[in-house]
Amino acid sequence: MSTAKDLMTTKFHTLRPDMSIADAVKAFKEASANEERKVFGIMVIDRKSRLVGMLSMYDILLYLRPKHIHIWGMMDDIEAEGLMDQACERLKSIRVADIMTPDVITVTPDAHLMFILDLMIKKHIRRVPVVEGEKIRGIVYISSLFYHLLARVTS
Amino acid sequence: MKQNVLKGLCVKDAMRRQVLQLPESAPIEKNINLLIKYKVNALLLAAENNIPTGVVSKTDIMSAYYASLPIESPAKDIMSSPPLFCGEADSLESALDKMRAEGVHRLYACEGASQSVAGILAYPDIVGLLYLYCHKCEYSLLNRSGKKLENDEVSRFRVKDVMTPAVRSFHENDSLLTIMEGLSAYRFGAVLVTDENDRATGVVSKTDLILAYMHGVSPHVAARTVMTSPVLSCEETEFLEGAIRTMIFSEVHRLFVHRGDSPNMVGVFSLSDAARLRSGSCQACVSSRIKVDQHD
Repeated sequence: MSTAKDLMTTKFHTLRPDMSIADAVKAFKEASANEERKVFGIMVIDRKSRLVGMLSMYDILLYLRPKHIHIWGMMDDIEAEGLMDQACERLKSIRVADIMTPDVITVTPDAHLMFILDLMIKKHIRRVPVVEGEKIRGIVYISSLFYHLLARVTS
Repeated sequence: MKQNVLKGLCVKDAMRRQVLQLPESAPIEKNINLLIKYKVNALLLAAENNIPTGVVSKTDIMSAYYASLPIESPAKDIMSSPPLFCGEADSLESALDKMRAEGVHRLYACEGASQSVAGILAYPDIVGLLYLYCHKCEYSLLNRSGKKLENDEVSRFRVKDVMTPAVRSFHENDSLLTIMEGLSAYRFGAVLVTDENDRATGVVSKTDLILAYMHGVSPHVAARTVMTSPVLSCEETEFLEGAIRTMIFSEVHRLFVHRGDSPNMVGVFSLSDAARLRSGSCQACVSSRIKVDQHD
């Protein structure tokens, strides 16, 4: 068991680029419930099921972060509740394609796990789609990789 | 030279260190993605050798939308070139002078004598810095918490002293093409949208337009389909401190200004107006009663 196809999850969820962020957030919740794990990133596919991006929790949080927080952060008279309401309101006009990461790093099913480990560390990524041609075969999560390696270390 | 808050400050004090850069071959849609995600107004573009070659702003992208350029086109086709630079050790005053002389809203700051880009200086950052000084100042209305100062005779700027006293508005049935022509002709970042009764019902900004481009909305649709509503406004006698606070809080670059209870807008107050004022929000700094180094 040493390649992407051995460790990848084949039960994965996807988003569409024209989905609203509100619907994407619902999809995150459903994916977490279905996969029985906290899902923090979902692949985005076009009409032909080709991978066109990845939407992560970080992308959404980045957009929610107030633009001038470096100024607000030094003040004690700010209504944080109001800031959060405004941020959520702004999110309503945004779609998945607007804030997703379009350049997704992928591997083939035959990629060695140590290569994937190196990729995750170098590129600061926590999940890597496994793609063969234009078809998505699965996804490798950093947690799966960690627990797999942990099992080998302790066996 | 008049004393003002910016005296003694350099570009390094106000610039943002996160400079977003893309290859000049990157498609326009990828540029929009970064502009929206990071809430910035422009991106630096670089050639294959990583040398900066141009800047793509929301205005450039709006022009591409107007010209019905395919969204997959490379940003190189629409960028403004070359990018304009300043030194990170240059005075903020000279950088503002350069921005005004060149008619640009941002400068890229280089580290020392090198061509290495260390940061970006834009109007909102300068206003943010001014606001921070005002907020810490003992004369500030925002920082007072009810206590009364012995000397409260400071002459404060009000919105009407600084605003542009004219509003260009469009009808909500006007097409996005008409709106874009107006934005381009008058060099505005956003325009007011009104209904049949001349009541202000929304605002169409360049951000709304580049999102419409990204979402595949036809530029022939009516303004009301993409406008942001309601209109953010302030009263013309409001103190500058309060208006700047609203703009920064709401992440907008301008507030429309009304007089008294009348719903008619009589002016526009923008972040660049506030930055050009250079002296914070009251006359205290101008008359040198407060020095910058006392604000710590």
